[in-house]
Amino acid sequence: MAVDTGAKEKRILSLQHLQVEKEGKPLVKVNTQVNGQSVLTIMGPSGCGKTTLLNAISGQLAAPFTFTGDISINGRSVIALEPYKRNIGIMFQDALLFEHMSVKENIAFAMPPKLHSTKQAQSQAIDTMLQEVSLEGFGDRGIEALSGGQQARVSLLRTLAAEPDVVLLDEPFSKLDASLRSQIRTWTFEQIKQRNIPAVLVTHDIEDANAAGGEIIELMPC
Amino acid sequence: MFSQITVYARYALLLLLLVPVTVGVIGVVFPALGYFPALGEHSFSFRIFVELLNVQHIGQMIWLSLFSGVGSTILASFITFLLLAHCYQSSLLNKIQALLSPMLVLPHAAAAIALLFVLSPSGLVARFIGTITDSAMPSTTVGLFPYDEWGLSVLLVLVIKEVPFILLMALSVMAQPNNKQKLEGYQRAGTALGYSAPSTFFKLILPSIYTQIKLPILAVLVFATSNVEIPLLIGLNNPSTLSVAILHWFNHVDLSMRLLGSAASILQGVVCVLAIVVFFTVERMISWWGRRQLSTGRRNFFNRTVALLGTCTFGIYAFLIAGVVYTVVSYSFAEHWVFPRLFPEALTLLHWKTAFSAIGQPLLNTLLLGLATSVSSVVLVLLTLESEVLVPATRKAAALFSFSLFLPLLVPGVAFLYGLVWFQQLLSVHSLGFHTYIAHMVYVLPYVYLSLAVSYQRFDNRYVMVAQSLGKSPFQVFWYVKLPALLNSVLVAWALGLAISFSQYLPTMLASGGAIPTVTTEAVASVSGSSVRLTAVYAVIQAVMPLLGFVIAWTLPKLITLNRERRRTHNRKSKRISSHMSRKERLEKKVVHHGR
Repeated sequence: MAVDTGAKEKRILSLQHLQVEKEGKPLVKVNTQVNGQSVLTIMGPSGCGKTTLLNAISGQLAAPFTFTGDISINGRSVIALEPYKRNIGIMFQDALLFEHMSVKENIAFAMPPKLHSTKQAQSQAIDTMLQEVSLEGFGDRGIEALSGGQQARVSLLRTLAAEPDVVLLDEPFSKLDASLRSQIRTWTFEQIKQRNIPAVLVTHDIEDANAAGGEIIELMPC
Repeated sequence: MFSQITVYARYALLLLLLVPVTVGVIGVVFPALGYFPALGEHSFSFRIFVELLNVQHIGQMIWLSLFSGVGSTILASFITFLLLAHCYQSSLLNKIQALLSPMLVLPHAAAAIALLFVLSPSGLVARFIGTITDSAMPSTTVGLFPYDEWGLSVLLVLVIKEVPFILLMALSVMAQPNNKQKLEGYQRAGTALGYSAPSTFFKLILPSIYTQIKLPILAVLVFATSNVEIPLLIGLNNPSTLSVAILHWFNHVDLSMRLLGSAASILQGVVCVLAIVVFFTVERMISWWGRRQLSTGRRNFFNRTVALLGTCTFGIYAFLIAGVVYTVVSYSFAEHWVFPRLFPEALTLLHWKTAFSAIGQPLLNTLLLGLATSVSSVVLVLLTLESEVLVPATRKAAALFSFSLFLPLLVPGVAFLYGLVWFQQLLSVHSLGFHTYIAHMVYVLPYVYLSLAVSYQRFDNRYVMVAQSLGKSPFQVFWYVKLPALLNSVLVAWALGLAISFSQYLPTMLASGGAIPTVTTEAVASVSGSSVRLTAVYAVIQAVMPLLGFVIAWTLPKLITLNRERRRTHNRKSKRISSHMSRKERLEKKVVHHGR
């Protein structure tokens, strides 16, 4: 499986003197590296540019924001690449599953083309993925039929199915019930580390940061 | 690649809106100034304007246009706000929306014809009165409706047709996400401060949405001031409104009358500007008065009156719609229908047979034009909306864009269509179909755009970000994620475009020179014909056709969802069977193993 091959290569996301600016005025400044076994956490009050920083990394930065510095994955700069060619997965606080597709179709949509030789092989691979997160038999269900926790799990499966080089997490746990929260959180970090994917987490919850267990950057209120 | 195509689409849309109107205006300015080589006129002068101002009753024509246009728009806005004040935030609102929607998509010509059937001296209302008073003859002199010299009947029909449009525009503005939250907050705050529902609406809600529905109201104003079909069918003929006079001058056998028509088109433009000035003056006065009311602290605002008037409006619409449907359908099947009886004596299919034998070609023309314009408009508008996301325009370009979007709605049709046709004839005399298509597009595009833009901009952009982060190109995101999610709105915009194209009278008549008859042009022509019953048949067909588009738009998404669910259940079942099978196979293998 992809997990084994992934663990061998060394994956590093580096943000070199990355500075996000709003109308020319500096907003956020970061200079760090994340490897596949760790999660970088960005903390700070809302409105100080956490999400904007993620947008810069994923290539979705829009006016009036700009950035300077470099973003590279495994030593290759990605800033010239269009967002969809960067191979950077994003997760938000909502699962954002496509409602006109079934659970299985959502995951298949994310898989790189020709990863599996036949439709059947693909279908079986998805069944296995669902089985691993105890969602066996949910493949042909519609999205509306899933609970919040189930949607969160499918959302992560979808992100991972695209085999991203980096994962960005924009407060992905903030809408979950307290009871589910720590469970989904532990499981998400486990899955990401298992696949050796560098991750950046944006949150204002210190428990999230502690669970992530990596470097924590606190942004100043602005 | 894809984003480049969307940018081209944006330019194409801009050109389709700007060029016909500009060329059209130029095309009437020249003849109006006396330059018309085809008739041997080569000199520029104001001679024709002088001639125009000496036309008999010209003052009254201008007055009729102004009175019916401004009067109907002010009255319709007032009624719409009353309705909203009465039932905003109540369950009645949905009912009213459903009740008024058929009125909205009914072509103007059909609405005028239908109301003739109900309100004319031999119409349904007169029959009611006749039955009660036991009079055998319809009165021909007493009734104000139709053909009154003050333009009141034209005003009435315009009001009936405008209220649904303004209401729907207001509702769509109020439903925009950034407005919705704010307005709900205002509503709660107003109620908490002890303001009654109508006063909350008039003092808090209306002031904050009014600027956003001003432009659609201005479009209504210009349309009402320059509309042709309604005064042609309902208004007095001599003097008529200016727009109807223009139509007659352009269609006159004496071609030199076209110069007069051109000058009158310019005058029509001036009249529309005048109408806007009058409207703004009234608006200023009301807002000045309203602003003073804000600080009086009065918690109530004619609560009972608003409720009463709201209910009355609702009742009148319900009666009119029921009456229209009953009379028109009955007339289309009636053999004899003696006044003042409320039911026809005998029924026949004759009128329908006559209509069907003649309507084949017009029906085909209508459908072809409608499909071509609505489908190409939806495609162009979708690509344009996508280009606004992919390649955001500068602020100036965006302003120019929204201006050109309303241009065809703010320049009266009678003022530029003749010029456009003159120009089209210069280019080619043979491609009538294409000319008519362009003339329709000018009107279909803005409505399709306005209809789709709201839901497109409401779409959660994070879905796009997620899809892109999964490695999907902008085109794939558009095709696999956005389009399916927006299917409902896309289909509704398509149906609206279809309805707009179906209802076009003047653009069809002029651009095709009458050579491409459609259901609408035939219906208008049939009014001056001999058979009332045939006209009824045309009115029914005219009313049903746009509804068919909306029925498709409403049912297709449901069918697709149903089909999707059926496929999923099928998949689930077949999997259960196959897992069952494999268990059986395994068992069999075991048996074989044991057997060995």
